[in-house]
Amino acid sequence: MMSNALIWRWGSEQVKTFLQILSYGLMSGALYGLIALGLSLVFGVMSYLNVAHGALIILGAYLSFWLYQLWGIDPFPSILLVFPLFFALGLLLFKGLFAALMKFSEGDKIKNSLLISFGILLILPNTIILSWTPDERAVTTFYSGAVVDLLGWRLPYTGLATVALAVAVIAALHVFLTRTYFGKSIRAVSQDFEAAGYMGINVPRTYMVSFALGVALASIPGAIVALQGINPDLAFALPNKELIVVILAGVGSINGLLGAGLLLGLVEAMGVFFLGAAYREAVGLLLFVLFLVYRPQGLVGRKT
Amino acid sequence: MTGPIGKLGIGISCLITLALLLFPLFVKEEYYLNLIFLVSLYSILSHSWNVFGGLCGQISLGHAAFFGVGALSCRYAWIAGAPLPAALLMGGIGSVLVTCLVGIPTLKLRSHYFAIGTLAMAMIALITVQNQLPGVNFLPPELMAGYSVISRYYICVGVGLAAILFVGALKHSKIGLAMISIREDEDAAEAIGINIFRYKVVAMAISAFLAGLAGGLFAIYYVSFYRYIPFELTWSFDPLLITFIGGSGTVLGPVLGSLCYVILRETFALSMGQLSVIIFGAVFILIVLFFPKGLSGLIDKLHAGGPDSETEKQ
Repeated sequence: MMSNALIWRWGSEQVKTFLQILSYGLMSGALYGLIALGLSLVFGVMSYLNVAHGALIILGAYLSFWLYQLWGIDPFPSILLVFPLFFALGLLLFKGLFAALMKFSEGDKIKNSLLISFGILLILPNTIILSWTPDERAVTTFYSGAVVDLLGWRLPYTGLATVALAVAVIAALHVFLTRTYFGKSIRAVSQDFEAAGYMGINVPRTYMVSFALGVALASIPGAIVALQGINPDLAFALPNKELIVVILAGVGSINGLLGAGLLLGLVEAMGVFFLGAAYREAVGLLLFVLFLVYRPQGLVGRKT
Repeated sequence: MTGPIGKLGIGISCLITLALLLFPLFVKEEYYLNLIFLVSLYSILSHSWNVFGGLCGQISLGHAAFFGVGALSCRYAWIAGAPLPAALLMGGIGSVLVTCLVGIPTLKLRSHYFAIGTLAMAMIALITVQNQLPGVNFLPPELMAGYSVISRYYICVGVGLAAILFVGALKHSKIGLAMISIREDEDAAEAIGINIFRYKVVAMAISAFLAGLAGGLFAIYYVSFYRYIPFELTWSFDPLLITFIGGSGTVLGPVLGSLCYVILRETFALSMGQLSVIIFGAVFILIVLFFPKGLSGLIDKLHAGGPDSETEKQ
């Protein structure tokens, strides 16, 4: 009660709502950055547009749901189990479906990978529905719904954990790409795969591992999505968030993803505040189209 | 230029056309009339995608918006008192107008940027309609009284046949060749003096017109529907799937694809539910990987050396 009274003095109800919506926007923004991570890596390195990345995130979310349901493993540590599993899945998918596209020109790579992953997007969510019904599910832990209350400004623990995780994962990936030999070879291949090949880098293997890494990165947002609630339909809703964030950041930019995710979360929050919740998606999409037309190189990218 | 189809082909096409026209005289079950109606509707929509994506090479995911605008324009024109064919035409024209207003900026985008840009546009259209035009559109009773399946059947089959002939003629015209050259290599096409932007606008307008007609057919077919239904994204994805399964950039492909799509959906969707979509997805991946020319490419292969195989390869 005390804290509420303070906020009243501090500002009107409107300000409180605004701050609340803003902070939720930023927390979902951190998640947007995470869901776009794997897609951006694969798109940037090898020009594969994997629209099934959202479906893979949902699959990861279901896996952490079942790990919690069956063995009581909390979604956050379960990432450590799902990550290697998804890495193997990525290797399989690459060997089975995507390796054949390596020899194509860049435009054909994008087009054909888009089409193949679209087929996967049809298969995966429907397999999930068949196996586990289309019901909405969520992992409910002891900290679900718990909030930090700062003078009536309520911040959920899972949201804060999402922000922390997004910062940590994107920083770790940055270190991996800039400080390790293999990370450097991935960047070399993404800049010019022919030249990289002449320098003695094994290009097909780099492609395969980057693709598998991209798939494995789907397991991280999967765990958070499992905490927020999952249904198979999300597989179709997530790709557009991913694509928006990737374009906002600039294709291939890993460092820009967090900022782009936060920007999208922020703009959506403004849309909710000023236009109403129904237009949340539309505002984000509009931002996206504006970026596509006027700044296709993204927030931090350079014009080519 | 009858070469690409051949005498046999013309004979078969005439027979099929005749059979379609006489079909309602012999078969009275509305179920079968409805099936042919749906095949025609999907053929028109897929041909609309085919002109833009198959001939001109612009992978559009915005067809749901073309379709939806066509459906609503036709519906409102019809309810306002326009006769059916005029209302249908309004659907096509409305779609072209809206698309030219909103769609032209997206033509600046290339390849994948275009695909996801148009997808975003279609999503914005869907969200806007869901919020601005909620609820169901019912057919007024006086129009209900005149509702007959047979007249709709003939309109739809007629438009479908006209669309096929039109795309066939377009493909071998100067405009069609310009579009194909843009698909093959935009920079090279520009270098030989093709005005890329103009031909993209033409392709988009034709595509929007055909999709608007298909939307109009949707609007005169259903007695009542939620206004957002024709804007659902499945109207973007279905024509893409159908065109690729049938054969992208070909004249027969979208029709074959629609036939397969409707038959598969009717036979499997009820008995197998989700499994039918899974099978469809698997078939789609196999076709993209192993038969990039789709079903019509497969037919060409079966009588290899036929005149078709040469023209489709270009």
